[in-house]
Amino acid sequence: MATNQELIEQWWKEEAPLLPLLHAFHDRDGFISEEAIRAVADGLKIPVAEVFGTVTFYHHFARKAPGQAAPRVCTGPACKYLGAPELLKSLEGATPMACAGRCDDGVPVLQGHEVRVGRTADSLEKTPSPLPPPNPGNVEECVFAHIREPERNTMEGYRGYEALEKARGMSRANLLALITDSHLAGRGGAGFPTGKKWEMVEQAEGEPKSIVCNADEGEPGCFKDRAILDYDPHAVIEGMAIAAHATGATKGFIYLRYEYPETFQIVERAMAEAEELLGDGFKLYLRRGGGAYICGEEGSLLNSLEGKHPFPRNRPPFPVTHGYNDLPTVVNNVETLASVAPIVMKGAEWYRGLGLGEHAGTKLVSVSGDIQRPGNFEAPFGLPLLTLLNEWCGGAPEGRSIQAVTMAGLSGGFLAGDDLDVTLDEPSIRAKGAFLGAAGIMVFDDTRDMVEVAHCAMEFFAEESCGKCFPCRIGTQRLTERLNGAAGPADETKWREEVHDIGRTMMATSACGLGVAAPNITESLVKYFPEQVAASLKNGR
Amino acid sequence: MIAEVKPTATATLTLDGVEVSFTEGETIYEVAERAGREVPTLCYDARLEAFGGCRLCVVEVDGMRAPVASCTTPATAGMVVKTTTDAIEKHRRTLLELVASENRENEVDELRGHASQELKSLLDRYEVRGGRFAGRQSGTSNSTDDNPFILRDYDLCISCYRCVRVCAEQEGDHAITMMNRGFEKQITTEFNGILKDSACTFCGQCVQTCPTGALGDRKAMRAESLPGEVEKTRTVCPYCGVGCSVDLLTKEDRLVGVQPAMDGPANEGALCIKGQFAFDFVQHEDRLKMPLVRDEDGELHETDWETALDRAADGFKKAAGEHGRHAVYGVASGRAPHEAAYTMQKFIRAGFGTHQIDNCSRA
Repeated sequence: MATNQELIEQWWKEEAPLLPLLHAFHDRDGFISEEAIRAVADGLKIPVAEVFGTVTFYHHFARKAPGQAAPRVCTGPACKYLGAPELLKSLEGATPMACAGRCDDGVPVLQGHEVRVGRTADSLEKTPSPLPPPNPGNVEECVFAHIREPERNTMEGYRGYEALEKARGMSRANLLALITDSHLAGRGGAGFPTGKKWEMVEQAEGEPKSIVCNADEGEPGCFKDRAILDYDPHAVIEGMAIAAHATGATKGFIYLRYEYPETFQIVERAMAEAEELLGDGFKLYLRRGGGAYICGEEGSLLNSLEGKHPFPRNRPPFPVTHGYNDLPTVVNNVETLASVAPIVMKGAEWYRGLGLGEHAGTKLVSVSGDIQRPGNFEAPFGLPLLTLLNEWCGGAPEGRSIQAVTMAGLSGGFLAGDDLDVTLDEPSIRAKGAFLGAAGIMVFDDTRDMVEVAHCAMEFFAEESCGKCFPCRIGTQRLTERLNGAAGPADETKWREEVHDIGRTMMATSACGLGVAAPNITESLVKYFPEQVAASLKNGR
Repeated sequence: MIAEVKPTATATLTLDGVEVSFTEGETIYEVAERAGREVPTLCYDARLEAFGGCRLCVVEVDGMRAPVASCTTPATAGMVVKTTTDAIEKHRRTLLELVASENRENEVDELRGHASQELKSLLDRYEVRGGRFAGRQSGTSNSTDDNPFILRDYDLCISCYRCVRVCAEQEGDHAITMMNRGFEKQITTEFNGILKDSACTFCGQCVQTCPTGALGDRKAMRAESLPGEVEKTRTVCPYCGVGCSVDLLTKEDRLVGVQPAMDGPANEGALCIKGQFAFDFVQHEDRLKMPLVRDEDGELHETDWETALDRAADGFKKAAGEHGRHAVYGVASGRAPHEAAYTMQKFIRAGFGTHQIDNCSRA
């Protein structure tokens, strides 16, 4: 067993050392002791109080035994209806965890570095994550085009970095123009034009520049990045290397969520295979999060990488000029980066043409919940939502009908009734008050209590609120209390007024997307299901 | 030290319909404040890096989708800013109602600290009476920390993190930290312990920047029940040579507390444990009010100044006579003013002819 000093020696000179060093202690002892925190603080010259505060921020850093050895059961909105509450009770010492990104194949139970999946304690089994099913619409794919090929996640199966070689033969200007021309935009949900972002980093002053791959896929109902990294990690690494060539970046980070330990190993192996092809000019690092939804927000992610308290950063300045270590940084989602190599090989026009009508390109969509065939699908932008739900995914389970779906995981709130008649693109979905975002879609059939679903969603936001800004910290708590009757007016008019006032102020004044988006849940609940709200208030919830 | 060269480039923006000029690097909040706007805030402390937590200072900027926090948004040329629209004022009231809802009460004695009335004043200004948004309370007071200086009444905490930031950015102690996330956020020290076991130096800056009285000046709070209004008298801290400006708090001629002057040129709101908390000697019953001399019986007896000074002079003369002028060593008190320190060195140098003179502030 390594000594404190050996662990510190191993990490203190490395890039972004706090998280890996904390993990090293967590893995060694099963939890992070007071002694470990003091050793880390001393080793990295960070005040003890700060290390302590940062450790307590993350869900998965245990501070006492049995810690890491105890099972954690996903109680996310999809798993909740797959038997998660019962499973949680039946496993000794188990504690709940937020959506762990296995909604297509629940319920995941995380224990140490292993995820086992099943609906009951006896049926838990360590199985690979589901491979995306063959495209049901038989449409041409970009990101998933080769993902189903055997051994695709090895360098042999991936067959080298042909696109990187081609990109390295291009001038930066031409490469940037190609990406801009493809209309590729941020697939984590924000939709910022990728070519523009790269160009800003290329032009920004300050070195070394970095490429950060945001693989902290924490949005409930989203599990597409897991599929890409499990089955096609080289596409992401190659995309990062191309981004590095286009921007002049020399460092790259993959920030992977804690809940994907098997993915960590797959990516680690792929990185080792890629080292030679990447060359000396681009050094890649893999960092594992500690369990915090907010670290998917790019400012929080960068603070987390740097070993700071993972609050979102104030913007401006933006990461393109002040990112990792306050230097120019590209932060791109896994899916965005995985789209790059095919675009380099096949061209901007080809990529644009994958979308329907006016829309350019494709979007990976994670569908889960009350649906016949859950899974990850690569849909052309502009595909009707109902085509996806009914034709691609087989609709609601036998004898039931779709009551509502969530958009953007949970962040977009609900769509229901006639508003399900949208197409998968932002203008269409935003016109209904929701947004596509990272495109997690959870389906709830007509047997579900939507107030209960909304409570589960808001409870998630309350637990994941970082606590930096007032509207989100207090607002998510108050909305949660109003959805389960823990507090708030019983009178419907007053209830609506309070919920709406809180929601409006959260949307307008919150410091980051979490607080801005969370009230979409309550606003859409009231809009589509007023009678369920009224009934729940009448029953005292 | 080389003087900082300030950028001279100025530009203008429109603030509530009026064109105002600003210097590059200023935030909207700073520009608005300079222009006399009273933009509300709870997390802002001019000495600290802008944080953007309370969101009360949001303003509307033409072309922006949503209001922006004026404290963290740099002013840019041509910007059109509105600080007090109906929509903005409604958000501010809602935010204040939310903040009011997380605490058991919002009335605290002003003796708790310099900024302790900030929340209450804003609630009054926006006529927030409480009652809306009822729900669980946040923050748990630390009742085990019985240090004599700092009350940790986190039931009143609103998580503005001014204490955490002042401790890190101004004092450099990094004694205070933030535990957990969201509504469970708790201000505390390493391992959620007591201040004595942390890196705290009891400088009291956290107390003085706290806008709710969640952190209280225990020394001053002893006088909460004394009759009379609190009066403030500006002076200079008598302890060391730094020259920190302080406001002495008195109630009916009784010294009840000390607060640092936020505009003190030497300290900008900072003090040390002595300047902040160690003033009891002023009114202590053991304090000498008459000179004392030791008689044959070995006990100290009160006497008049004439007698006492003669006795002291005799003692000095005797020591210097028997052992030479270097037998005398003078140490001036750090509490004495400059004039007294000067007189002291003159007394030792000119009077005895030795350079053995020092001041306790060097220690």
